[in-house]
Amino acid sequence: MFQRDIFIKTIMSAMNKDSDIYFLSADFGAPALDELRQKFPDNFIHCGISEQAMIDVATGLALEGKKVFAYAMAPFISLRAIEQAKCGPGLMDLPICLLSVGVGLGYADAGPTHYANEDYACARAIVGTSVYTAADSQTTQQIALELIASPRFAYVRLDREELPDIGEMTLNDVKAGFRVFGESSSNKVGLVSHGFMLHRCLEIQKAHPENFYCIDLIRSKSFPDSLNISAKALLVVDEQTPSGNLAACVFEGLSNKDTFLPIVSKCLPEKYIFDNGGRDKLLEENGLGLSDIREAGERLLN
Amino acid sequence: MTKSSEYEQLGKDYRKQLFEKFLATKQGHPGSVFSMMDIAVILYHGGFVRFDSNKKVFTDRVVISKGHATAALYPIMKNFGVLPEKEWENWGHSSSLLRVFGNTSMPGIDVTSGSLGHGVGVGAGMAIAAKARNEDTRVYSVISEGELYEGSTWEGLLFAHHHELDNLTIIIDVNNLIILGGTDDCLKLNPIKDKVAGFGIDTIEVNGHDFDDLNSAFKADLEKSGLTCIVVNTVKGKGVSFMENKNNWHYFNPMSDDQIEQARKELS
Repeated sequence: MFQRDIFIKTIMSAMNKDSDIYFLSADFGAPALDELRQKFPDNFIHCGISEQAMIDVATGLALEGKKVFAYAMAPFISLRAIEQAKCGPGLMDLPICLLSVGVGLGYADAGPTHYANEDYACARAIVGTSVYTAADSQTTQQIALELIASPRFAYVRLDREELPDIGEMTLNDVKAGFRVFGESSSNKVGLVSHGFMLHRCLEIQKAHPENFYCIDLIRSKSFPDSLNISAKALLVVDEQTPSGNLAACVFEGLSNKDTFLPIVSKCLPEKYIFDNGGRDKLLEENGLGLSDIREAGERLLN
Repeated sequence: MTKSSEYEQLGKDYRKQLFEKFLATKQGHPGSVFSMMDIAVILYHGGFVRFDSNKKVFTDRVVISKGHATAALYPIMKNFGVLPEKEWENWGHSSSLLRVFGNTSMPGIDVTSGSLGHGVGVGAGMAIAAKARNEDTRVYSVISEGELYEGSTWEGLLFAHHHELDNLTIIIDVNNLIILGGTDDCLKLNPIKDKVAGFGIDTIEVNGHDFDDLNSAFKADLEKSGLTCIVVNTVKGKGVSFMENKNNWHYFNPMSDDQIEQARKELS
């Protein structure tokens, strides 16, 4: 099942018991959303193709005690409405979850207007956000459960694609904000990632467990308190452009804990991608192919 | 004394109090605050924004979308006993709750604002929430005409009209000026009333310094079904002749002793 459907179904279950939950869409759909609209017409609001108005309306609802999920395609809910996010849920600390679908190059080959390669830095920059990125179905569900249980200003990054489950996932993992795959060691390189790119890192780690272990940074903001890292170096892999991507987050998070390790960022280049060929091809051509990541990791071992 | 002359006196008193604060703190937006002062007077003292005197809270909501003018509400909050006198006195000190721009930490201020173009959408969200609670709560969103340059204002109007929010009133304070000059010279907005009415929104146009006019418009709004927009024609800097219709009085400016004396006289 697609991440968006899992998330919406989880919200729908909660709506059965909580009439204060509202779901807003800026004309962005999903099969599960059709069901939600039918079952909870009073708690679903179509805001038109107006991400800015959607977040302003969400702000008004939240000021009156509602818990709001605002849903749109990633590039638009993140960048187009960034000032609304700051002035509403940011400034007033309101329980609004911005549900952002199709992060990274998820909408290949739609082109750069539809890619969200800067959304992470923007969302993380807003004061008070919690930033989550889901790598699989179970994580998606647990993030939704966490935000239902503890509503807050959150930016949730979902993939457009149906991604395979990685392993057992609990609410405690989401609360902790991370999970580790493989044995960590000061002789190994830690591959840190989230979402779609985590799967590539896991492929490398499984092939070379003696050299690599993986960290899935589910909640990268606030940076997980209990994440203590032992590694020869960290390779941070993110489907974002260079400025302010996950590597910046890892550096800031670890340096705040007085942990100073070599950190290398493996990300998209500083350019807009207009080429065709599908997500895999675009990643290969832009430095995030499997071999690019593995070779970058191997360089850190030497 | 007629009701209108009472309101007029209140408007003068509030402007005077605010003038002294602007002078003492050497900051603020007197032009915009004075332009919407009479709107605030009629809303609160005309009983359109209802007050629970036992709980000392207003049961209706006011969104001052033109956040640089939220200070217009501070003396009103003091007068109703919502804002403690000591907080008013403390304005200008670093520990003061009161700021140039309003925020929700201040008693009686419903929305943190300052960035333009949010008030219609936020007001619409509040109005939907009030309807969901089956409460007779009204929401008044006061926006400046300058906010009509922001696309999100029109997005909000489209939304509010579609949802038939008859518990929401949009008030547009039209003083014809923005920071760099007249709106007609900088980038034409007129005809504002026709543009808003073109969305299918019931629109009333009034003189923003005529209390009979204002009172009638807000009463008419209560009797109507559907979303109402009141286009209020005002004078920027109203009450102080050297500030009136002057775009440079958007912000506080240093004044000569003669000007200070003149302002005090005109506001008395």
